Amino acid sequence: MTVIRPSEDYLDQPFWTHLAAGTLHLSSCDDCGKAHHPPSPICPHCRSFNTGWKPASGRATLKSFTEVRHPVHTLLEPSVPYVVTLVELEEGVRMVSGLPPGHEAELRVGMALECTVIRHDPRFALPYFLPAPEAEQPDTA
Amino acid sequence: MKRPMGERMKTSIVGLGQTEFSKNSGRSELKLATEAILAALEDAGLEVDDIDGLVRYTWDHTSEATIVNALGIKALKYYGETEFGGVNCCGAVAQASAAIEAGLASCVVFYRALNARSGVRFGRGERVLEEVDGGLVTRQPEPPGDIYSAPFGLLVPGQHHALYAQAYAGHYGLDTEAMTEMLGAIAVTQRGYANGNPRALLHDRTLSMEEYRAGRVISTPLRIYDYCLETDGAMAMVIVSRERARSLGAKAVDVLAAGQHIFPGSVPMYLYAADTHSLAPEAVGRELFGKAGLSASDIDLAMIYDATSMMVPIALEDFGLIGRGEAHDFFTSGGHGPGGTLPVNTHGGLLSEGYFHGLNTIAEGVRQLRGESHNQVSAETALVTLRGASSMVLGRA
Repeated sequence: MTVIRPSEDYLDQPFWTHLAAGTLHLSSCDDCGKAHHPPSPICPHCRSFNTGWKPASGRATLKSFTEVRHPVHTLLEPSVPYVVTLVELEEGVRMVSGLPPGHEAELRVGMALECTVIRHDPRFALPYFLPAPEAEQPDTA
Repeated sequence: MKRPMGERMKTSIVGLGQTEFSKNSGRSELKLATEAILAALEDAGLEVDDIDGLVRYTWDHTSEATIVNALGIKALKYYGETEFGGVNCCGAVAQASAAIEAGLASCVVFYRALNARSGVRFGRGERVLEEVDGGLVTRQPEPPGDIYSAPFGLLVPGQHHALYAQAYAGHYGLDTEAMTEMLGAIAVTQRGYANGNPRALLHDRTLSMEEYRAGRVISTPLRIYDYCLETDGAMAMVIVSRERARSLGAKAVDVLAAGQHIFPGSVPMYLYAADTHSLAPEAVGRELFGKAGLSASDIDLAMIYDATSMMVPIALEDFGLIGRGEAHDFFTSGGHGPGGTLPVNTHGGLLSEGYFHGLNTIAEGVRQLRGESHNQVSAETALVTLRGASSMVLGRA
Protein backbone atom coordinates (compact mmCIF):
# COMPACT_ATOMS: atom_id res chain seq x y z
CA MET A 1 0.00 0.00 0.00
CA THR A 2 1.70 3.18 -1.19
CA VAL A 3 0.68 6.50 0.38
CA ILE A 4 1.99 9.45 -1.63
CA ARG A 5 3.98 11.89 0.50
CA PRO A 6 4.60 15.58 -0.01
CA SER A 7 8.35 16.11 -0.39
CA GLU A 8 10.29 16.57 2.87
CA ASP A 9 10.60 20.37 2.67
CA TYR A 10 6.80 20.77 2.67
CA LEU A 11 6.46 18.64 5.82
CA ASP A 12 8.07 21.46 7.86
CA GLN A 13 5.12 23.74 7.09
CA PRO A 14 2.45 24.29 9.80
CA PHE A 15 -0.36 22.45 7.97
CA TRP A 16 1.74 19.29 8.06
CA THR A 17 3.42 19.74 11.45
CA HIS A 18 -0.02 20.20 13.09
CA LEU A 19 -1.25 17.03 11.40
CA ALA A 20 1.86 15.12 12.52
CA ALA A 21 1.01 16.30 16.06
CA GLY A 22 -2.48 14.83 15.61
CA THR A 23 -4.81 17.71 14.68
CA LEU A 24 -6.13 19.36 11.50
CA HIS A 25 -5.48 23.10 11.54
CA LEU A 26 -6.66 25.55 8.89
CA SER A 27 -4.91 28.62 7.60
CA SER A 28 -7.14 31.38 8.99
CA CYS A 29 -7.33 35.16 9.07
CA ASP A 30 -6.75 36.81 12.45
CA ASP A 31 -8.64 39.92 11.28
CA CYS A 32 -11.85 38.69 9.64
CA GLY A 33 -11.69 35.23 11.21
CA LYS A 34 -12.38 33.27 8.03
CA ALA A 35 -10.48 30.13 7.10
CA HIS A 36 -9.00 29.41 3.68
CA HIS A 37 -7.54 26.34 2.01
CA PRO A 38 -5.05 25.63 0.56
CA PRO A 39 -2.96 27.77 2.95
CA SER A 40 -1.95 31.22 1.76
CA PRO A 41 0.02 34.16 3.16
CA ILE A 42 -2.90 36.53 2.48
CA CYS A 43 -6.58 36.23 3.36
CA PRO A 44 -8.61 35.99 0.12
CA HIS A 45 -11.67 37.46 1.89
CA CYS A 46 -10.30 40.66 3.50
CA ARG A 47 -6.76 40.70 2.01
CA SER A 48 -5.11 40.86 5.42
CA PHE A 49 -1.59 39.47 5.80
CA ASN A 50 -2.40 38.80 9.44
CA THR A 51 -3.02 35.08 8.99
CA GLY A 52 -2.40 32.22 11.37
CA TRP A 53 -3.53 28.69 12.19
CA LYS A 54 -6.68 27.56 13.96
CA PRO A 55 -7.81 24.03 14.84
CA ALA A 56 -10.66 22.78 12.65
CA SER A 57 -13.84 21.47 14.27
CA GLY A 58 -13.51 18.35 12.13
CA ARG A 59 -17.17 18.52 11.09
CA ALA A 60 -17.75 18.47 7.34
CA THR A 61 -20.23 17.70 4.56
CA LEU A 62 -19.54 15.34 1.68
CA LYS A 63 -19.69 17.24 -1.63
CA SER A 64 -18.46 14.49 -3.96
CA PHE A 65 -16.54 11.23 -4.05
CA THR A 66 -15.11 8.72 -6.48
CA GLU A 67 -13.86 5.18 -6.20
CA VAL A 68 -10.62 5.09 -8.19
CA ARG A 69 -10.30 1.67 -9.83
CA HIS A 70 -7.68 2.35 -12.48
CA PRO A 71 -4.18 2.91 -11.02
CA VAL A 72 -2.41 5.78 -12.81
CA HIS A 73 1.03 4.70 -11.55
CA THR A 74 2.50 1.20 -11.36
CA LEU A 75 3.25 1.61 -7.64
CA LEU A 76 -0.45 2.28 -7.03
CA GLU A 77 -1.57 -1.04 -8.50
CA PRO A 78 -1.87 -2.69 -5.04
CA SER A 79 -3.77 0.38 -3.73
CA VAL A 80 -6.83 0.27 -6.00
CA PRO A 81 -9.69 0.51 -5.49
CA TYR A 82 -9.52 3.50 -3.16
CA VAL A 83 -11.97 6.32 -2.39
CA VAL A 84 -11.22 10.03 -2.88
CA THR A 85 -13.63 12.58 -1.40
CA LEU A 86 -14.32 16.29 -1.81
CA VAL A 87 -15.49 17.68 1.53
CA GLU A 88 -16.69 21.05 2.79
CA LEU A 89 -15.63 21.84 6.32
CA GLU A 90 -17.87 23.61 8.80
CA GLU A 91 -15.40 26.53 8.55
CA GLY A 92 -16.49 27.04 4.93
CA VAL A 93 -13.48 25.65 3.10
CA ARG A 94 -13.27 22.71 0.74
CA MET A 95 -10.60 20.02 0.94
CA VAL A 96 -9.71 16.88 -0.93
CA SER A 97 -9.68 13.86 1.36
CA GLY A 98 -10.52 10.19 1.25
CA LEU A 99 -11.38 7.10 3.21
CA PRO A 100 -8.44 5.65 5.14
CA PRO A 101 -6.77 2.71 3.37
CA GLY A 102 -8.73 -0.48 3.95
CA HIS A 103 -11.79 1.38 5.22
CA GLU A 104 -15.20 0.98 3.62
CA ALA A 105 -18.24 3.21 4.03
CA GLU A 106 -21.56 3.82 2.30
CA LEU A 107 -21.22 7.37 0.94
CA ARG A 108 -23.81 9.82 -0.35
CA VAL A 109 -23.41 13.46 -1.36
CA GLY A 110 -24.65 15.74 1.43
CA MET A 111 -23.88 13.37 4.33
CA ALA A 112 -22.23 14.56 7.53
CA LEU A 113 -18.60 13.59 8.05
CA GLU A 114 -16.08 13.89 10.82
CA CYS A 115 -12.32 14.15 10.63
CA THR A 116 -9.90 11.52 11.83
CA VAL A 117 -6.18 12.19 11.56
CA ILE A 118 -4.11 9.10 10.75
CA ARG A 119 -0.34 9.16 11.13
CA HIS A 120 1.60 7.28 8.47
CA ASP A 121 5.01 8.04 10.04
CA PRO A 122 6.33 10.48 12.67
CA ARG A 123 6.48 13.42 10.23
CA PHE A 124 3.51 12.63 7.98
CA ALA A 125 -0.19 12.37 8.86
CA LEU A 126 -3.34 12.92 6.80
CA PRO A 127 -6.86 14.20 7.63
CA TYR A 128 -9.40 11.58 6.54
CA PHE A 129 -13.17 12.02 6.86
CA LEU A 130 -15.57 9.25 7.91
CA PRO A 131 -19.38 9.31 8.07
CA ALA A 132 -20.64 10.93 11.28
CA PRO A 133 -22.91 8.88 13.57
CA GLU A 134 -26.46 8.34 12.26
CA ALA A 135 -27.94 10.80 14.77
CA GLU A 136 -25.91 13.62 13.19
CA GLN A 137 -26.90 12.86 9.59
CA PRO A 138 -29.16 15.37 7.80
CA ASP A 139 -32.74 14.28 7.26
CA THR A 140 -32.90 13.00 3.69
CA ALA A 141 -36.56 11.98 3.74
CA MET B 1 -33.42 38.16 -31.35
CA LYS B 2 -30.34 40.14 -32.43
CA ARG B 3 -28.98 42.96 -30.32
CA PRO B 4 -26.72 45.84 -31.41
CA MET B 5 -23.48 44.41 -32.72
CA GLY B 6 -21.09 47.21 -31.79
CA GLU B 7 -19.49 45.07 -29.12
CA ARG B 8 -18.75 42.15 -31.41
CA MET B 9 -15.16 41.20 -32.01
CA LYS B 10 -13.86 42.17 -35.42
CA THR B 11 -11.73 39.16 -36.27
CA SER B 12 -12.15 35.99 -38.30
CA ILE B 13 -10.58 32.55 -38.46
CA VAL B 14 -9.43 32.17 -42.06
CA GLY B 15 -7.25 29.07 -42.07
CA LEU B 16 -7.10 25.65 -40.43
CA GLY B 17 -4.19 23.25 -40.64
CA GLN B 18 -3.39 19.96 -39.01
CA THR B 19 -1.35 16.82 -39.19
CA GLU B 20 -2.98 13.42 -38.92
CA PHE B 21 -4.01 12.39 -35.41
CA SER B 22 -2.18 9.25 -34.30
CA LYS B 23 -0.92 7.21 -31.37
CA ASN B 24 2.67 7.70 -32.47
CA SER B 25 3.52 10.51 -34.87
CA GLY B 26 7.10 9.31 -35.42
CA ARG B 27 8.40 12.88 -35.57
CA SER B 28 9.29 15.80 -33.31
CA GLU B 29 6.77 18.29 -31.95
CA LEU B 30 8.61 21.04 -33.87
CA LYS B 31 8.14 19.19 -37.15
CA LEU B 32 4.46 18.62 -36.32
CA ALA B 33 3.98 22.30 -35.43
CA THR B 34 5.54 23.60 -38.63
CA GLU B 35 3.56 21.15 -40.78
CA ALA B 36 0.30 22.34 -39.20
CA ILE B 37 1.20 26.03 -39.55
CA LEU B 38 2.09 25.68 -43.25
CA ALA B 39 -1.15 23.79 -43.87
CA ALA B 40 -3.16 26.53 -42.11
CA LEU B 41 -1.48 29.24 -44.21
CA GLU B 42 -2.20 27.34 -47.41
CA ASP B 43 -5.84 26.98 -46.37
CA ALA B 44 -6.02 30.75 -45.82
CA GLY B 45 -4.16 31.64 -49.03
CA LEU B 46 -1.39 33.32 -47.02
CA GLU B 47 2.44 33.00 -46.86
CA VAL B 48 4.85 32.51 -43.98
CA ASP B 49 5.90 36.15 -44.28
CA ASP B 50 2.32 37.25 -43.65
CA ILE B 51 2.57 35.93 -40.06
CA ASP B 52 3.32 38.75 -37.63
CA GLY B 53 1.83 37.22 -34.48
CA LEU B 54 1.87 33.88 -32.64
CA VAL B 55 -0.14 32.61 -29.68
CA ARG B 56 0.17 29.34 -27.79
CA TYR B 57 -0.53 27.62 -24.47
CA THR B 58 2.12 27.85 -21.73
CA TRP B 59 2.02 24.04 -21.72
CA ASP B 60 3.13 23.82 -25.35
CA HIS B 61 6.77 22.74 -25.63
CA THR B 62 7.51 24.54 -28.90
CA SER B 63 8.36 28.18 -28.13
CA GLU B 64 7.60 31.14 -30.35
CA ALA B 65 11.36 31.65 -30.77
CA THR B 66 11.69 28.10 -32.06
CA ILE B 67 8.89 28.68 -34.58
CA VAL B 68 10.35 32.01 -35.75
CA ASN B 69 13.73 30.41 -36.29
CA ALA B 70 12.43 27.22 -37.88
CA LEU B 71 10.11 28.95 -40.36
CA GLY B 72 12.31 32.02 -40.87
CA ILE B 73 9.45 34.38 -40.03
CA LYS B 74 10.92 37.75 -41.01
CA ALA B 75 9.17 40.03 -38.50
CA LEU B 76 7.13 38.79 -35.56
CA LYS B 77 5.55 41.79 -33.84
CA TYR B 78 3.34 40.10 -31.25
CA TYR B 79 3.61 36.82 -29.38
CA GLY B 80 1.75 35.80 -26.28
CA GLU B 81 0.89 32.80 -24.20
CA THR B 82 -2.25 31.81 -22.32
CA GLU B 83 -1.80 29.77 -19.16
CA PHE B 84 -2.35 25.99 -19.10
CA GLY B 85 -3.57 24.03 -22.11
CA GLY B 86 -7.10 23.42 -23.28
CA VAL B 87 -8.51 25.62 -20.50
CA ASN B 88 -7.61 28.45 -22.83
CA CYS B 89 -8.59 27.12 -26.25
CA CYS B 90 -10.88 30.12 -26.67
CA GLY B 91 -8.64 32.33 -24.51
CA ALA B 92 -5.88 32.07 -27.11
CA VAL B 93 -8.29 33.17 -29.85
CA ALA B 94 -9.45 36.05 -27.63
CA GLN B 95 -5.83 37.06 -27.10
CA ALA B 96 -5.05 36.91 -30.83
CA SER B 97 -8.19 38.92 -31.58
CA ALA B 98 -7.33 41.54 -28.94
CA ALA B 99 -3.83 41.90 -30.38
CA ILE B 100 -5.26 42.41 -33.88
CA GLU B 101 -7.91 44.89 -32.71
CA ALA B 102 -5.23 46.81 -30.78
CA GLY B 103 -3.05 47.03 -33.88
CA LEU B 104 -0.21 44.94 -32.45
CA ALA B 105 -0.42 42.35 -35.21
CA SER B 106 -2.44 41.71 -38.34
CA CYS B 107 -2.09 37.96 -38.89
CA VAL B 108 -1.84 35.74 -35.81
CA VAL B 109 -1.30 31.99 -35.82
CA PHE B 110 -2.48 29.88 -32.87
CA TYR B 111 -0.65 26.55 -32.79
CA ARG B 112 -0.47 23.44 -30.64
CA ALA B 113 1.84 20.47 -31.16
CA LEU B 114 2.14 17.50 -28.88
CA ASN B 115 3.19 13.93 -28.73
CA ALA B 116 0.74 13.35 -25.90
CA ARG B 117 0.31 9.66 -26.61
CA SER B 118 3.82 8.49 -27.43
CA GLY B 119 5.45 11.02 -25.05
CA VAL B 120 4.48 12.15 -21.54
CA ARG B 121 0.80 11.29 -21.01
CA PHE B 122 -1.53 13.67 -19.18
CA GLY B 123 -3.51 10.76 -17.82
CA ARG B 124 -0.55 9.17 -16.04
CA GLY B 125 0.69 9.87 -12.52
CA GLU B 126 4.32 9.91 -13.64
CA ARG B 127 3.76 13.48 -14.81
CA VAL B 128 3.38 14.72 -11.22
CA LEU B 129 5.07 12.06 -9.05
CA GLU B 130 8.63 11.01 -8.29
CA GLU B 131 9.79 7.65 -7.01
CA VAL B 132 11.91 8.09 -3.86
CA ASP B 133 13.21 5.10 -1.88
CA GLY B 134 10.51 2.84 -3.30
CA GLY B 135 7.73 5.30 -2.41
CA LEU B 136 5.98 8.12 -4.27
CA VAL B 137 6.53 11.83 -3.61
CA THR B 138 4.83 14.97 -4.96
CA ARG B 139 6.43 18.40 -5.15
CA GLN B 140 3.53 20.03 -7.02
CA PRO B 141 2.32 23.28 -5.39
CA GLU B 142 -0.95 23.27 -7.37
CA PRO B 143 -3.41 20.69 -8.74
CA PRO B 144 -3.36 18.25 -10.38
CA GLY B 145 -1.29 16.03 -8.15
CA ASP B 146 -0.45 18.75 -5.61
CA ILE B 147 0.67 18.19 -2.02
CA TYR B 148 -2.88 18.62 -0.61
CA SER B 149 -4.66 16.20 -2.95
CA ALA B 150 -2.08 13.69 -4.21
CA PRO B 151 -1.67 11.95 -0.82
CA PHE B 152 -5.29 10.79 -1.16
CA GLY B 153 -4.60 9.44 -4.65
CA LEU B 154 -6.18 12.32 -6.62
CA LEU B 155 -3.57 12.71 -9.32
CA VAL B 156 -4.91 13.30 -12.81
CA PRO B 157 -7.66 15.40 -14.43
CA GLY B 158 -9.73 12.32 -15.24
CA GLN B 159 -10.18 11.70 -11.50
CA HIS B 160 -11.21 15.32 -10.92
CA HIS B 161 -13.86 14.86 -13.58
CA ALA B 162 -15.22 11.85 -11.70
CA LEU B 163 -15.70 14.18 -8.73
CA TYR B 164 -17.60 16.66 -10.94
CA ALA B 165 -19.80 13.81 -12.18
CA GLN B 166 -20.66 12.49 -8.71
CA ALA B 167 -21.31 16.03 -7.43
CA TYR B 168 -23.74 16.54 -10.31
CA ALA B 169 -25.43 13.19 -9.64
CA GLY B 170 -25.74 14.00 -5.94
CA HIS B 171 -27.06 17.52 -6.55
CA TYR B 172 -29.82 16.40 -8.93
CA GLY B 173 -30.49 13.05 -7.27
CA LEU B 174 -29.50 10.98 -10.32
CA ASP B 175 -28.82 7.34 -9.49
CA THR B 176 -26.11 5.18 -11.07
CA GLU B 177 -28.43 4.00 -13.85
CA ALA B 178 -29.51 7.54 -14.76
CA MET B 179 -25.87 8.67 -14.93
CA THR B 180 -25.02 5.67 -17.11
CA GLU B 181 -27.89 6.51 -19.47
CA MET B 182 -26.87 10.17 -19.74
CA LEU B 183 -23.11 9.70 -20.12
CA GLY B 184 -23.57 6.70 -22.40
CA ALA B 185 -25.86 8.72 -24.67
CA ILE B 186 -23.06 11.28 -25.04
CA ALA B 187 -20.25 8.78 -25.66
CA VAL B 188 -22.25 6.64 -28.09
CA THR B 189 -23.62 9.58 -30.11
CA GLN B 190 -20.21 11.21 -30.37
CA ARG B 191 -18.73 7.92 -31.55
CA GLY B 192 -21.38 7.86 -34.22
CA TYR B 193 -20.24 11.30 -35.38
CA ALA B 194 -16.62 10.06 -35.37
CA ASN B 195 -17.61 7.11 -37.54
CA GLY B 196 -18.66 9.68 -40.16
CA ASN B 197 -15.44 11.71 -39.79
CA PRO B 198 -12.31 10.28 -41.49
CA ARG B 199 -10.03 12.51 -39.33
CA ALA B 200 -11.19 10.79 -36.15
CA LEU B 201 -8.84 8.39 -34.41
CA LEU B 202 -11.84 6.11 -33.81
CA HIS B 203 -13.38 6.55 -37.25
CA ASP B 204 -13.48 2.80 -37.80
CA ARG B 205 -14.58 1.73 -34.32
CA THR B 206 -18.28 1.69 -33.56
CA LEU B 207 -19.67 1.90 -30.01
CA SER B 208 -23.05 0.59 -28.90
CA MET B 209 -24.82 1.34 -25.63
CA GLU B 210 -24.25 -2.30 -24.63
CA GLU B 211 -20.50 -1.92 -25.22
CA TYR B 212 -20.55 1.36 -23.30
CA ARG B 213 -22.22 -0.30 -20.31
CA ALA B 214 -19.68 -3.13 -20.39
CA GLY B 215 -16.79 -0.64 -20.45
CA ARG B 216 -14.20 -0.78 -17.68
CA VAL B 217 -14.87 1.66 -14.82
CA ILE B 218 -11.87 3.98 -14.45
CA SER B 219 -13.02 6.15 -11.56
CA THR B 220 -16.69 5.94 -10.56
CA PRO B 221 -19.01 6.88 -12.19
CA LEU B 222 -16.82 7.26 -15.32
CA ARG B 223 -15.98 4.41 -17.69
CA ILE B 224 -13.20 4.11 -20.24
CA TYR B 225 -15.54 5.45 -22.96
CA ASP B 226 -16.17 8.64 -20.97
CA TYR B 227 -12.52 9.65 -21.42
CA CYS B 228 -10.75 11.51 -24.22
CA LEU B 229 -8.03 9.94 -26.34
CA GLU B 230 -4.46 11.00 -25.73
CA THR B 231 -3.18 11.87 -29.17
CA ASP B 232 -0.07 12.80 -31.15
CA GLY B 233 -0.25 15.55 -33.75
CA ALA B 234 -0.44 19.29 -34.33
CA MET B 235 -3.04 21.86 -35.29
CA ALA B 236 -2.87 25.54 -36.23
CA MET B 237 -5.33 28.25 -37.13
CA VAL B 238 -4.91 31.70 -38.70
CA ILE B 239 -6.72 34.73 -37.29
CA VAL B 240 -6.97 38.11 -39.10
CA SER B 241 -9.24 41.15 -38.94
CA ARG B 242 -12.71 40.68 -40.43
CA GLU B 243 -11.92 43.39 -42.97
CA ARG B 244 -8.83 41.54 -44.16
CA ALA B 245 -10.73 38.24 -44.17
CA ARG B 246 -13.25 39.73 -46.58
CA SER B 247 -10.52 41.05 -48.90
CA LEU B 248 -8.70 37.68 -48.86
CA GLY B 249 -11.67 35.82 -50.20
CA ALA B 250 -10.75 33.05 -47.75
CA LYS B 251 -13.41 30.78 -46.29
CA ALA B 252 -13.72 32.82 -43.12
CA VAL B 253 -15.68 32.22 -39.96
CA ASP B 254 -16.20 35.23 -37.73
CA VAL B 255 -15.25 35.44 -34.05
CA LEU B 256 -18.32 37.22 -32.64
CA ALA B 257 -17.17 37.13 -29.01
CA ALA B 258 -14.41 35.40 -27.09
CA GLY B 259 -13.19 35.64 -23.53
CA GLN B 260 -11.86 34.11 -20.35
CA HIS B 261 -13.41 33.80 -16.88
CA ILE B 262 -11.77 32.22 -13.85
CA PHE B 263 -12.43 32.69 -10.15
CA PRO B 264 -11.09 31.41 -6.81
CA GLY B 265 -10.95 27.64 -6.72
CA SER B 266 -11.79 27.22 -10.43
CA VAL B 267 -8.17 26.85 -11.56
CA PRO B 268 -5.78 25.12 -12.12
CA MET B 269 -8.28 22.29 -11.67
CA TYR B 270 -11.81 22.95 -10.51
CA LEU B 271 -11.52 21.65 -6.91
CA TYR B 272 -12.12 24.35 -4.32
CA ALA B 273 -14.90 26.53 -5.75
CA ALA B 274 -18.25 26.77 -3.96
CA ASP B 275 -20.20 24.46 -6.31
CA THR B 276 -19.17 21.42 -8.29
CA HIS B 277 -22.42 20.42 -10.03
CA SER B 278 -21.92 23.60 -12.08
CA LEU B 279 -18.51 24.79 -13.31
CA ALA B 280 -19.25 28.37 -14.43
CA PRO B 281 -21.49 31.15 -13.15
CA GLU B 282 -24.44 32.03 -15.37
CA ALA B 283 -22.94 35.49 -15.94
CA VAL B 284 -20.27 33.93 -18.20
CA GLY B 285 -22.76 32.87 -20.86
CA ARG B 286 -24.90 35.95 -20.45
CA GLU B 287 -21.94 38.28 -21.01
CA LEU B 288 -20.52 36.24 -23.88
CA PHE B 289 -23.83 36.05 -25.75
CA GLY B 290 -24.43 39.74 -25.01
CA LYS B 291 -21.13 40.70 -26.63
CA ALA B 292 -22.03 38.56 -29.64
CA GLY B 293 -25.36 40.38 -29.93
CA LEU B 294 -27.19 37.08 -29.41
CA SER B 295 -28.97 35.11 -26.74
CA ALA B 296 -28.63 31.44 -25.80
CA SER B 297 -31.58 30.50 -27.99
CA ASP B 298 -29.73 31.85 -31.07
CA ILE B 299 -26.98 29.21 -30.72
CA ASP B 300 -27.30 26.49 -33.37
CA LEU B 301 -24.38 24.22 -32.44
CA ALA B 302 -22.28 23.54 -29.35
CA MET B 303 -18.64 22.49 -29.43
CA ILE B 304 -17.90 21.52 -25.85
CA TYR B 305 -14.42 20.67 -24.59
CA ASP B 306 -15.04 17.09 -23.54
CA ALA B 307 -11.94 15.86 -21.74
CA THR B 308 -14.61 13.58 -20.29
CA SER B 309 -18.23 13.18 -21.32
CA MET B 310 -19.29 14.88 -18.06
CA MET B 311 -18.08 18.26 -19.35
CA VAL B 312 -20.85 18.27 -21.96
CA PRO B 313 -24.02 18.29 -19.81
CA ILE B 314 -22.52 20.73 -17.33
CA ALA B 315 -21.51 23.19 -20.06
CA LEU B 316 -24.90 23.11 -21.78
CA GLU B 317 -26.60 23.86 -18.45
CA ASP B 318 -24.07 26.52 -17.41
CA PHE B 319 -24.58 28.41 -20.68
CA GLY B 320 -28.35 28.15 -20.51
CA LEU B 321 -28.59 26.11 -23.73
CA ILE B 322 -30.70 23.66 -21.71
CA GLY B 323 -32.29 24.17 -18.29
CA ARG B 324 -30.66 23.21 -14.98
CA GLY B 325 -31.08 19.52 -14.30
CA GLU B 326 -32.45 18.85 -17.80
CA ALA B 327 -29.32 17.19 -19.17
CA HIS B 328 -30.40 13.59 -18.62
CA ASP B 329 -33.61 14.03 -20.60
CA PHE B 330 -31.91 16.13 -23.29
CA PHE B 331 -29.17 13.59 -24.02
CA THR B 332 -31.21 10.41 -23.62
CA SER B 333 -33.72 11.80 -26.12
CA GLY B 334 -30.95 12.56 -28.63
CA GLY B 335 -31.10 16.36 -28.54
CA HIS B 336 -27.36 16.47 -29.27
CA GLY B 337 -27.42 13.91 -32.07
CA PRO B 338 -28.05 14.08 -35.81
CA GLY B 339 -31.37 15.87 -36.33
CA GLY B 340 -31.46 16.97 -32.69
CA THR B 341 -32.36 20.45 -31.53
CA LEU B 342 -28.74 21.30 -30.64
CA PRO B 343 -26.07 19.15 -32.32
CA VAL B 344 -23.02 18.84 -30.05
CA ASN B 345 -19.43 17.82 -30.90
CA THR B 346 -20.23 16.72 -34.43
CA HIS B 347 -16.58 15.71 -35.07
CA GLY B 348 -16.78 13.07 -32.34
CA GLY B 349 -15.25 15.34 -29.72
CA LEU B 350 -12.12 14.78 -27.71
CA LEU B 351 -13.71 11.44 -26.80
CA SER B 352 -13.66 10.00 -30.30
CA GLU B 353 -11.86 12.32 -32.73
CA GLY B 354 -8.78 12.92 -30.61
CA TYR B 355 -7.62 14.94 -27.61
CA PHE B 356 -6.31 18.02 -29.28
CA HIS B 357 -6.66 20.36 -26.33
CA GLY B 358 -9.59 22.20 -27.82
CA LEU B 359 -8.13 23.22 -31.18
CA ASN B 360 -10.08 20.45 -32.84
CA THR B 361 -13.16 21.56 -30.89
CA ILE B 362 -12.79 25.04 -32.42
CA ALA B 363 -11.93 23.58 -35.83
CA GLU B 364 -15.18 21.62 -36.00
CA GLY B 365 -17.14 24.79 -35.24
CA VAL B 366 -15.27 26.51 -38.07
CA ARG B 367 -15.86 23.62 -40.48
CA GLN B 368 -19.56 23.50 -39.69
CA LEU B 369 -19.95 27.24 -40.32
CA ARG B 370 -17.96 26.94 -43.55
CA GLY B 371 -20.20 24.09 -44.63
CA GLU B 372 -17.31 21.60 -44.66
CA SER B 373 -18.05 19.22 -41.79
CA HIS B 374 -18.28 15.51 -42.45
CA ASN B 375 -21.45 15.62 -40.35
CA GLN B 376 -22.77 18.88 -41.75
CA VAL B 377 -25.81 20.52 -40.18
CA SER B 378 -27.53 23.80 -40.97
CA ALA B 379 -26.08 26.43 -38.64
CA GLU B 380 -25.32 30.15 -38.39
CA THR B 381 -23.71 30.22 -34.93
CA ALA B 382 -21.67 27.95 -32.68
CA LEU B 383 -20.69 28.12 -29.03
CA VAL B 384 -17.24 26.78 -28.12
CA THR B 385 -16.20 26.44 -24.47
CA LEU B 386 -14.12 24.73 -21.85
CA ARG B 387 -16.41 24.91 -18.80
CA GLY B 388 -16.66 28.68 -19.15
CA ALA B 389 -12.99 29.21 -18.25
CA SER B 390 -12.68 30.28 -21.86
CA SER B 391 -15.42 30.44 -24.41
CA MET B 392 -16.42 32.01 -27.70
CA VAL B 393 -19.20 32.40 -30.21
CA LEU B 394 -18.43 31.81 -33.88
CA GLY B 395 -20.66 33.05 -36.67
CA ARG B 396 -21.03 32.18 -40.34
CA ALA B 397 -19.40 34.96 -42.37
